Amino acid sequence: MSGVTRAAAACALPGTPLAAVSAGIDACVHCGFCLQACPTYLTLEDENDSPRGRIVLMRALVEGTLPPTDADVRTHIDRCLGCRACETACPSGVPYGQLLEGTRATLARVSPNPWIARFILFVFARRPLLWLAMMGGRVTRALRVSALLSRIPGRVGFAMAMLEATRSPVQRADYIASSDGTRGSVALLTGCVMEGLFADTNRATARTLEANGYRTQPAPGQRCCGALHAHAGDLDTARVLARANVAAFERAGAELVAVNASGCGAMMKEYGELLADDPEWHERAKQVASRVRDVTELLAAAGPQPGAPLPLAVAYDAPCHLLHAQRLSEPPLRVLGAVTGLELLPLEGSEHCCGSAGIYNLIEPETSARVLDVKLENIARSGASIVATGNPGCLMQIGAGLLRTGSRARVAHPVDLLDASYSRAALP
Amino acid sequence: MSALRSRLAAIVGDDRILTRTGELRSYEADGLPGYQKRPSLAVFPGTRDETVAVVRVLADTGTPYVARGAGTGLSGGALADDVVLLGLHRLKRIISIDRDNARAVVEPGVVNSRLTAETRRFGLHYAPDPSSQTACTIGGNVAENAGGPHCLKYGVTLNHVLALTVILPDGTVVTLGSPNGEQEGYDLLGAFIGSEGCFGVVLDATVRLTRDPAAIRTLLADFSSVDAAAQAVSAIIASGIVAAALEMMDANTIQAVEASIYAAGYPTDAAAILLIELDGPAAGLEDDVARVIQFCRSAGARDVRVASDPADRARLWQGRKKAFGAMGRISPHLVVQDAVVPRTKLPAVLATIQRIATEHRVNVCNVFHAGDGNLHPNIGYNADDPDEAARVHVAMTEMMQACIDAGGSITGEHGIGLDKLQYMDRLFTAPTLEAMCALRAVFDPDRRSNPGKVIPIHSCSEWRAAPSVRAAAVR
Repeated sequence: MSGVTRAAAACALPGTPLAAVSAGIDACVHCGFCLQACPTYLTLEDENDSPRGRIVLMRALVEGTLPPTDADVRTHIDRCLGCRACETACPSGVPYGQLLEGTRATLARVSPNPWIARFILFVFARRPLLWLAMMGGRVTRALRVSALLSRIPGRVGFAMAMLEATRSPVQRADYIASSDGTRGSVALLTGCVMEGLFADTNRATARTLEANGYRTQPAPGQRCCGALHAHAGDLDTARVLARANVAAFERAGAELVAVNASGCGAMMKEYGELLADDPEWHERAKQVASRVRDVTELLAAAGPQPGAPLPLAVAYDAPCHLLHAQRLSEPPLRVLGAVTGLELLPLEGSEHCCGSAGIYNLIEPETSARVLDVKLENIARSGASIVATGNPGCLMQIGAGLLRTGSRARVAHPVDLLDASYSRAALP
Repeated sequence: MSALRSRLAAIVGDDRILTRTGELRSYEADGLPGYQKRPSLAVFPGTRDETVAVVRVLADTGTPYVARGAGTGLSGGALADDVVLLGLHRLKRIISIDRDNARAVVEPGVVNSRLTAETRRFGLHYAPDPSSQTACTIGGNVAENAGGPHCLKYGVTLNHVLALTVILPDGTVVTLGSPNGEQEGYDLLGAFIGSEGCFGVVLDATVRLTRDPAAIRTLLADFSSVDAAAQAVSAIIASGIVAAALEMMDANTIQAVEASIYAAGYPTDAAAILLIELDGPAAGLEDDVARVIQFCRSAGARDVRVASDPADRARLWQGRKKAFGAMGRISPHLVVQDAVVPRTKLPAVLATIQRIATEHRVNVCNVFHAGDGNLHPNIGYNADDPDEAARVHVAMTEMMQACIDAGGSITGEHGIGLDKLQYMDRLFTAPTLEAMCALRAVFDPDRRSNPGKVIPIHSCSEWRAAPSVRAAAVR
C-alpha cells in the first residue's frame, strides 16, 4: 500500500482512435482544477460529468477495467459539451478535446450514435441535402412559420426559435468597401449554417475585411469543415471533408483563410492533427491550417478602423471554440471596441458554454437547457440589449433562449455590429 | 446494501446515489491518485436537511462512511474503502455575508476561491489560500486544517473559523465555537478543525473574512542555487519582517510551470526562485521591500523584481498555485510529500533531499512554503515501471525520515489520511496515539466516520470494543 505502485497494463483497445491519443491521459494528475471550469459538472454535480471524471473513465477503457459497452461510460462521455473550458484551466496541458473525440469515435464503433445525430451528420456531409435543408430553413423563416412556432414547448419549438434567432437585429445598408489589399489576400470559409442562415454575416465579414485592407477572394469547392463529425466521433467523415477543404483552399491560393464561425475555425486550425496519420495529406493540412484565422483576429490586427456611432448596450459571450480551443479572448473585444458609442457591459460567466455545443442541444436537450438557463440569467442581469458572440451554434442557442423566455435582448455576430457601424459611416 | 440504498434514495432521490462500478470509478481517488479505493456506494445530498437525514440513516444502520468535498486532498483522506462515500459538493450555498462584522456563513461544499470572489466587492477576502483554492471546498479545508502561501502571516484555517455546525456520527447536530469570537469551556472547535473527517460532518461554517491590505508588493527573486535561496529565506525571517507569503520553487518546477498555460515569466535558467509578498499599510512598506531586496542580493540573487501591476502579480501567483498540476507534464505519475522542518534547517534538509533523489535516481521537484519551512518534494515517475516505483517509494520514505530527524513533522497541511499513516509511529509515542484515539472516541466512539485514517488502527487499544467497525475497517 505504498501509493506509488500499480500493475502495468497493456492497452485494452489496441488500434482504436482512443488508443491513438491515449498518451494524453497520462498528463492528468487528478488535481481537480478543471472541475469549476466545467459547465456539466457545475450543472449536474456529479464528478462523472467532469473532465477529471471522464478522463478516469477513458483511462479505465484503455486499461480494460471497464468495457466500451459500459452504459455509464457512454452516458457520461455523451453528456460532455466538448467546450474544452477544461483545457484553459489545466496546468498539465491535457489535450482533452483530442481525448474526447478519440473516445467518442471508439464508442461509436461499439454502439452507434442516436439516429438524430447520424441524420444531421449525414446531411452536413452531402452538399445537395445541406442545400435543401438550409433552403427549407430560409423558407420557414421568410414565411414567419418559425416566428409563429418559436414559443411552443418541446424540441420543435426550440428548433423554430433557433431558426428565428438567425434574423439579424441590426439594420444596415449595403456599402462598397474599398481595399488597397495591403494586408494580404483572404479566402473566406463560407460554411454551412453561416452561408445557409447567416448570409448577411458572411457579406459583412467580406466587407469589414475589405474596409480594413484585406483583399477577399472566393474559394470554390469548399465543404463543411467536419467539426460536427469530429466532435461526434465520426472521424472518418471529418477527414474526407478536411481533405476537400485543404484542396479547395490550396487552389484558392490566398495568403490567409478567414473563418467567422469559431467552431469551424478551431477545426480547421487542427486539420494537421486530424490528418496526422495520412502521409499524403498531413503536410498539406498543416500548411493550410497555419493560414487559418478567426475573422476577429484579422480585424484586430488591422485595428480595426473605427466606424460611425452605434449606441447599443452589448454583452460579449465568448464562444468556447474561440476562447478555449483557439485561445482567443482579445480580438473580438477589439472589434466591438471599434464600434463607437457601443457600451460593452460585463457578462458574468461569459467564459462558460451556452449549451449549444454543435448538435449537443438536439441530442442532450435536458442538460443543454439547464446549461442555457444559467447563461440566460446572467444575460438578464447584465442589462444588455445585444449579446455578441461569434459562432452560429451559440447565436442560435442563446437567441432561441432569449426568444422563448420573452427577453427583448437579441444576438449578433461582432462582425455584424462593426459592419452596421461602417454602414452608417458610409451613409451620405 | 440494497435496503440501505432504498432508505438513502428516499432522502436524496434515486439519481443521487451511485452503486455501479462504472459510475463509482471517478470517486476512487482524490488528488493523490496513487491510492485508489472503491466506495460501496456514493450518496450526494443536496441540502442540509438531506445531509442530516442521510447521516442519521447511516447511524441507525451502523454504517461507516467517508465525507468528501471536491476530492483535491493530497493524502488519500477522502477515500472510502468499501464503505459509503458521502459527497458534500452539492452543498454550495453561501448562506450569508456579514460585511460589517467581516464574517460569512457557508455550506461545506462552497469552493474556497468563490468565497473570496463573492466578498471582494466589500474589500474583504477569505485568507487561507491553499494552492487548490479554485477547486477545493471549505468543508475539506476544515477537515484538513488547510494552509496556503498566505498562512505565513494570516494563519491557517483554524484561525479563520469562528463556529461550525456539525453533525456527529451518531446523528446529533451540535454547534462548536461561537460566531462572536471566544467560547467558554473546552475548545471543541479547535479539536474538530483538522480532524480529517473522523469527528463528524460540517453542515455550515462561520468564517472570518479579512480586510484587503492597503498595499501589496510581490517580489520575484532569482537565484543560481537552491542553497542561496534558502539562505535568503533565513535572513528575511531572522530580520523580523513578516512576509505575507514566502514561496520557493526549484528549476524543475519552474520549467513545468513555464511550459503550461499558467506561464508566469519565471526565469527558466534559475536554480531556484523566491516569490515574496509583503503587505500592509502603505507607510513603511517600501522600506521593507528595500530590505528584502537587500537580503536576497546579499544571499546571491541574480535579480529581484517587483510585480509592476495587479495583473503581473496575479500572473506570478497563478504560476505558483498551479505548479502541482503542471507537474503532469514531466511524467505520467506523481507523488507529493508534505513535511515541515525548522526554517534554520531548510538548506541542510533540501540538500539531503537532493542527495536521496540522486542516490535513488528519482526526479524531485521542490515547490513549497519556505517561510514556514513547509516542504513539498514532488516526485514524478512512471508507475508502470515497477523498478522506478520501488525506488520512488524508498526515496520518499527516506525523505520523510530526514525531515523527522531534522526535528520536523510529517505534514504541514495535507493531513495524514492514508498516505502518512505509516509515519505516525515514528513521530508519536504510543501514549500520545492512545490519547488521540481517546479524543476521537468522544466524537465517534464507533469509529464509523472516515475509518482507517489518521491513526494506525493497532495504536488504539479500545478499537476492539467495536467489533462491527473493526470488521469494516479490516475489510
